[in-house]
Amino acid sequence: MILRNWRGWLTVLLFSLPQTPSAAEPLSGEQLFAVACEACHSMGGELDHRIGPPLGGLRNRQAATVAGYSYSKALLNTTWTWNLPTVVAWLSDPDGAVPNNAMNYVNALSATETQRLAEWLLQEAPN
Amino acid sequence: MASVAAPFASAQKANSSAVEGHKVVVIGAGLAGLNAALILQRWGCEVTVVEARDRVGGRLWTLDHVPGAPEAGGNVIGSNYGRVIHGAHVLDVPLRAPARTLPNDYLIGDHRILRRHWATAAANPLPDGWRSIPPERLLARLNENNPLLATRAWHRADLMAQDQPAEEGLRAMGFPEAALQLINANNSYGNNLTETSLMSLYRILGELGRLSGPELAVMEVADGNMRLPEAMASKLQQPVWLGEQALQVRQSPKEVKTILASGRAVEADAVILALPLPALSRIDLQLPPDRMALMQSVDYHKVVQLHCVIEEPFWQEGGWGGSWWTDGLLGRIFTRPVPGTALHNMTIWINGDDCDLLNKLDANACTERILQALWQLAPAAKEVTTVGHLVRWSVDPLAGGSWALWRPAQAGQSHDAIRAPAGRLFFAGEHTAEAYRGMEAAMESGERAALEVLRLFT
Repeated sequence: MILRNWRGWLTVLLFSLPQTPSAAEPLSGEQLFAVACEACHSMGGELDHRIGPPLGGLRNRQAATVAGYSYSKALLNTTWTWNLPTVVAWLSDPDGAVPNNAMNYVNALSATETQRLAEWLLQEAPN
Repeated sequence: MASVAAPFASAQKANSSAVEGHKVVVIGAGLAGLNAALILQRWGCEVTVVEARDRVGGRLWTLDHVPGAPEAGGNVIGSNYGRVIHGAHVLDVPLRAPARTLPNDYLIGDHRILRRHWATAAANPLPDGWRSIPPERLLARLNENNPLLATRAWHRADLMAQDQPAEEGLRAMGFPEAALQLINANNSYGNNLTETSLMSLYRILGELGRLSGPELAVMEVADGNMRLPEAMASKLQQPVWLGEQALQVRQSPKEVKTILASGRAVEADAVILALPLPALSRIDLQLPPDRMALMQSVDYHKVVQLHCVIEEPFWQEGGWGGSWWTDGLLGRIFTRPVPGTALHNMTIWINGDDCDLLNKLDANACTERILQALWQLAPAAKEVTTVGHLVRWSVDPLAGGSWALWRPAQAGQSHDAIRAPAGRLFFAGEHTAEAYRGMEAAMESGERAALEVLRLFT
């Protein structure tokens, strides 16, 4: 009974707890990258200790083309090029975008944050 | 390009005017709390981390006083644990491949079975077609047809039918009764198969499947896994408040106050609760009763470990490998060499409902009960075994068990509700993670909770 009523108490909770301030200055693309991406991806062009490929020079780059990185077969088999629609799709739901890819990641960003992060990623040039 | 600072390296502030100066209290100095604290500090928050124990690390606990410094808590760093690996790299905490655990043989009832004889041994209880599968590999058969191929698939409505008692699900799939009994004897992912969600098992095994790819190997911190949270804590501008147990958290429209058992109180703009649910449930949070009941309904894995040091490899004379898988009180015995010495660390690892009997005993009686079973298995062990430390996570009020388990109907449906922010309260800890388990789950959860707090301030 308790488990099945969680939506109900959540509604009560949302209306009974202190209201949080409204967004005035959203998190920047850089901040979002630092929190959500940086542990696994650099913004450079070379492989380092991180488990994901570097993301420098991402704009218009064909997917799965960083030399020396061990990509999943799923990503290797795509014809994706990284641009705003594909980066947003990938960040929003990696498993839905390219099933069986190797990135074990759940996007905790909102849609607008995802868009902002994608725009920032595509602005960056490699180190 | 913009400067991108390493998250652990410094308290560098960048583009953080909206965030700067906000006060955050983090309750719990495990990996989840420390990761959240460092992220928030980086963007200019004033962070106070309070920890009830006299050490940081939570369920990362290296037994430094035992030769070989075995791990009582989190012991495996998967090669896909990106946040852990990055944190260790930035903080100059070296990682290494762990010493290999010695091969295991079997004890079924009173019958000792050499590993190479398992398939043909008379004491192997499995029927034809199953007899060649070692007991520790039985559950892995779920990966032959695992419907949870995607990270978030365990939330999908069309898969909710899998959120059923694992025992029923496995039986329906054709697992024989003997296999169910063996899985139940040493199931790291549930206290018993009746109260474990099949969905949860699929999720765990799916993640392990990703972990065991050909190019992947596990690692550990060279001087003990606890060095990582210690290094993280050393980067905090304000040292962790150790030995400070939170009693109450009170919210008002403008702030949140944390009241500690010592009588101290800390006011902040937000609080992150980064501690296991049994410990969290001991704090008066003034949350709706349904939510408290939900948190209290999550089961935690029962684990008893007796860490021993072995002076001589007593198993060699009988041709045994040195580790054992048993269907009795001893559970599993993991033996590893202590690098650079002639010693071995032996961890007798008992889990699930088998711990209930042991947890009713005091520490001395519990240790003696386990040792008597070891002497029965291997009398020669008696002269060469020294007890290092007894660890009982279930009876530790600050842990309540080793990790969260998901009962049927919880795995897919309760997870989001348990971690949802409540006003100025935010929730972290391995039980709140989506993609990972273990140490990486803790790091993942701290990242997500920090993001939620940053949103509050912007």
